[in-house]
Amino acid sequence: MKKLVLLFIIAGFSLGVHAQKTQQILKKNYVNKLYTCALDQMLDTLGMDYHLHIVFERDSLHKFDVVEHFFNDRLDKVFDKICSDNNLHYWLENDGTIYILQNTDDLTRLKKLNTLNNIAAGLKPVTIEAPKGPPTHFLFTVSGKVTDQNSGEALPSATVKIRKTDLVATTGTDGNFTIFNVPADTCVVEVYYSGYQPELIRLNAKNINESIVVTMYKSLNTLNEVTIMGKKSGVMNTDTKKVGVLQLSPANLDKLPNLGEKDIMRAFQLMPGVGATNESSSGAYVRGGTPDQNLVVFDGFTVYQVDHLYGFFSAFNSNAVKDVQLYKGGFSSMYGGRLSSVTEINGKDGNKNEANYGVDLSLLSFNAFVETPIGDKSSLLVAFRRSYQGPFYDKIFKQFNTSTTTGGGGGRGGFPGGGGGGFGEQTTPASHFYDDDIRYTYHINKTNSLAWSLYSGSDVTDNSRQLQLPSFLSSGGDINITDYTKYGNLGSSLKWFSQWSKKVHSNTYITYSSYYNDRNRTTAGTTTDSNGDAVAFSNGTIENNNLKDIGVKSEWQYQLDNKVKLLYGGFGSRQHINYDYIQNDTSRLIDQHNTAFIGGGYAELEYDPDNKLHLQPGMRTTWFQPTGKLYYEPRFSASYVLNDNYTLKAATGQFYQFMNEVTREDVANGNRNFWVLSNNSNIPVGMSRHIMGGISWENNGFLVDVEGYYKTLSGLTQYAIRQTGFAPGSAGTIEQDFFQGTGHAKGIELLLQKKLGRYTGWLSYTLARAENRFAIYGDTYYPADQDVTHEFKAVNMYHYYRWNFSAVFIFSTGHPYTAPLSTYTVTNADGTTSTSYNVGAKNSVRLPDYHRLDLSATYDLLKISGDKTGSIGISLFNVYNHVNTWYKEYQIQNNAVIATDVNYLGFTPNITLSLRWK
Amino acid sequence: MEIKKYFSAADIILCMGAMLLLFSCKKDTVNTTTTLPVVEAYLMPGHIISVKLYLQKELTDTSKYGGPITGQQLAISDGSTNVTLTESAKGVYTYSDTTFLKTGKTYSLTFKYLGNTVTAKSTMPAKPLNFATQYASVTYTKTSTGPNSVQDTLNRFTWSNPDSLNHVLVFKNADGIAFALSARGNETTSDFELNTDQRSVLYATPNIFPYYGHYTVILLRVNQEYIDLLKSNTSRSTSQNLVNTPTNVVNGFGIFTAMQADTVKFDLL
Repeated sequence: MKKLVLLFIIAGFSLGVHAQKTQQILKKNYVNKLYTCALDQMLDTLGMDYHLHIVFERDSLHKFDVVEHFFNDRLDKVFDKICSDNNLHYWLENDGTIYILQNTDDLTRLKKLNTLNNIAAGLKPVTIEAPKGPPTHFLFTVSGKVTDQNSGEALPSATVKIRKTDLVATTGTDGNFTIFNVPADTCVVEVYYSGYQPELIRLNAKNINESIVVTMYKSLNTLNEVTIMGKKSGVMNTDTKKVGVLQLSPANLDKLPNLGEKDIMRAFQLMPGVGATNESSSGAYVRGGTPDQNLVVFDGFTVYQVDHLYGFFSAFNSNAVKDVQLYKGGFSSMYGGRLSSVTEINGKDGNKNEANYGVDLSLLSFNAFVETPIGDKSSLLVAFRRSYQGPFYDKIFKQFNTSTTTGGGGGRGGFPGGGGGGFGEQTTPASHFYDDDIRYTYHINKTNSLAWSLYSGSDVTDNSRQLQLPSFLSSGGDINITDYTKYGNLGSSLKWFSQWSKKVHSNTYITYSSYYNDRNRTTAGTTTDSNGDAVAFSNGTIENNNLKDIGVKSEWQYQLDNKVKLLYGGFGSRQHINYDYIQNDTSRLIDQHNTAFIGGGYAELEYDPDNKLHLQPGMRTTWFQPTGKLYYEPRFSASYVLNDNYTLKAATGQFYQFMNEVTREDVANGNRNFWVLSNNSNIPVGMSRHIMGGISWENNGFLVDVEGYYKTLSGLTQYAIRQTGFAPGSAGTIEQDFFQGTGHAKGIELLLQKKLGRYTGWLSYTLARAENRFAIYGDTYYPADQDVTHEFKAVNMYHYYRWNFSAVFIFSTGHPYTAPLSTYTVTNADGTTSTSYNVGAKNSVRLPDYHRLDLSATYDLLKISGDKTGSIGISLFNVYNHVNTWYKEYQIQNNAVIATDVNYLGFTPNITLSLRWK
Repeated sequence: MEIKKYFSAADIILCMGAMLLLFSCKKDTVNTTTTLPVVEAYLMPGHIISVKLYLQKELTDTSKYGGPITGQQLAISDGSTNVTLTESAKGVYTYSDTTFLKTGKTYSLTFKYLGNTVTAKSTMPAKPLNFATQYASVTYTKTSTGPNSVQDTLNRFTWSNPDSLNHVLVFKNADGIAFALSARGNETTSDFELNTDQRSVLYATPNIFPYYGHYTVILLRVNQEYIDLLKSNTSRSTSQNLVNTPTNVVNGFGIFTAMQADTVKFDLL
């Protein structure tokens, strides 16, 4: 209660105050009365008695009779009772009006009815109080924060507008906004945010001196209502004023088909410019870039492993994520260290007002979260999910392990040690993934807060087993085969937010991020030697790769006035990479320990000379210790609003990358990914230049967006480690090959989005080309592995009462691949033969076109009061079971080449249940 | 001043058309590498020179070798002397003067085939020195300890290698596949070779010998091109990692390499 009063004082007079008043009436009054009448009459009585404005359809409610005696029942329980008895819902709008609904979609109609009734009755609906008197303050600055009324969570990217002026601001990640030169203290502030009811606040002489806290009420309807241009709405949003920016609200992800997890990275893949056909990677292939060229920042720290289960699921739990932005290129000088794109993920703060918890269940995983306030000043969010090894999990697991089931049969001498299943034992590996997020937010005072965020996620595959040697074979003794693989991330950050003044605020982070990829394949046990003595033995391989990244950074925003905003900051980090590859306890095949310090700063100006033009020049400078050089990255972006519908936009910039993710090919046991640092010798610092531009047309219902881009890349690295010469008895060697190359990428993206109504969705088409040139493949450019010429995506969502249906169709040109043309055989010095391929030009042929259709249906579970408490959904992946080829495998058998297609997932159904208490 | 003009659909199409120009046209080049010849030649002093020429095989071809390439004019030069090879059998070209091959000389093969000049060259390494076996004969009793037990060292082969040159050990078993030791049924030949990874010693354990027998152990000092061939493994390739096997033949495939040998005997009984 104290909080509510507090809100009153801070917020001044806003629409939400009406709703709060009504809520108080509902909670504070008790009913002692016998009702034997029609429902409409009862509602009339309640309205009269408690001064409530209740809107309903008289005709339909008149049919319901109420015979009920209430004994000291709280008023809101009375509404619960009569609504649940008659299969109705009630809904409280932020203007304080209570709507009685038979269906959630009735709200729009009832609202119109309410307006008509008011007009008929000659009433002017109370929306916002009249100014108390003539204005007394002029051309002042207001600042404040936009939050969710229910959870207290800050709302980023909300639109704040001064009514009847051109003054508009967008809230930052902390929900803060500042508007300069507000004409008078009688103005009205309008606030809009996707999925929330618009909020209006009347300024007055008092509240302009305070930080204005705007608390937004969720809107009931899942229908998207667009009230102003450029407002964020729906599952996926584009900022028409910025080139190459996508924004996504995880809360809406259950409307899209999914494979068991609401997946933020997969959702981005449905947008133009992001490759959608790499089922084996949740990483973002953005505009011809590769996933390791995409910077992923979670609450300020860099995430190095972005997926689970061989790339099928993204590592981020959508229940712990507040909002996600993807910058497809030409991004701000705030970000650096990657060549292609940036994915910025902000975690939820946790509910500041009351405890809330929820679970999601699917055939794949269990996902639970708790969020709760702790005392007055802090809040906590804990989210955890873990997969379980059901048939669904196994299906996907097997999909990505088919290539590893056959042993290393051919060739001279197998792999010593490593349990090749010598006794014909067949085991199913135990495998799971899990991740957890913890976020604790502490508000030191009105202008300072601390947030601690922890993420840890891991994929574990354990194929360890014990062999009991059959007695006829020997000697007895046990053999323990360890085959344990674990990879994942641990990341944490401590953020200090400080609002130094109305004009200046800063975010300072201490970050830690680690990535590890460990495998232990050893065989140990005791055996009896020829003398009859027991001998302990241990052999096999242990491979450890880990990366540790410790950093500090500070990001500042200084808003000089409505036209000029300065962003600046500094950063420093230390990256340390260990890579050990130990065989038979003794021989270290790889023993790498590299450290790099990176430091630098950035400054960027956001300049809006008028409401039409937006200019954003910036500069980033990075010092990279291994090369001892300074790297300058100039950036520039601009937009120009031609008129109400059209916006032109462009961006350019230079980008450097100091580390690369590389693959160690291991055909027998699955490829391993790890990170290497650039150095002064064989691994160059990558460099890229982007030029991109576009035009968008938008009205209330539709958005058409066309963007084109051209990128050049140099200092690309392909790094292969191959195990060779595993001669029996000798440890073999590891061969490291470094290849350097250049590349370029270009493309056009088209987006047509329908934003409003029962049917929403978008059509997206990308025409693109990405080419690389590496000397080992010749001196001409060849299509890069991720090159896809045409990509078409149709995302359709249909809302029908409490149902949401969606259909997603994806088509793309097949990926390029390299094929053998012929073979030849020569005799070796020992008289055996070796057969080789005559390999065609690199990536000169293409796999068949990729296409698939996914369908889903979701039924919303609602409380009597209209709040959503969860959903039940069914998803069908690849409905018509189209065979999409991942890659081809070649084997020589009986001197001839056998080519096998390794395919992606076929038809796969899944069901999900999602529940929220509160 | 405000721009009032709305863009027409035609404007947008024009704009897109301009962007399409970004995508230049490119002609596909026809790959003719399938007609390149396959060369196989091991030059060893004291032996006659024998160069085999094969055709490549179709992917579905089940024959062991490609068909022979006949009627070619092959020449080998040692830098000063140029000799011509004669076709002694179909696709086999020989030169019988065994004194032609000498340590330290670089030999180049040249011939014209289907309009291309095919060349390859290799330098004769020095003869390996001090090749020795610790034991001439070892009697080993197979103990059934499973595939993962610690292996005893049966024998040690040593040679001089101060410069870390490439050596390969070839084991030839005079008794064939009569007496299995570590063979698991899939080795159809008793002979095998091991890359010694530029070391000067090999510790022989039971598991490297598929069969018991009387072995001739040949130490070959080889060039990098042979090591490259030996290391390439085509048994499992995918379209994601397919690469050509390294070859030192220009306008062709295969191997043309010089090597020198020393031999010891070793009986594993």
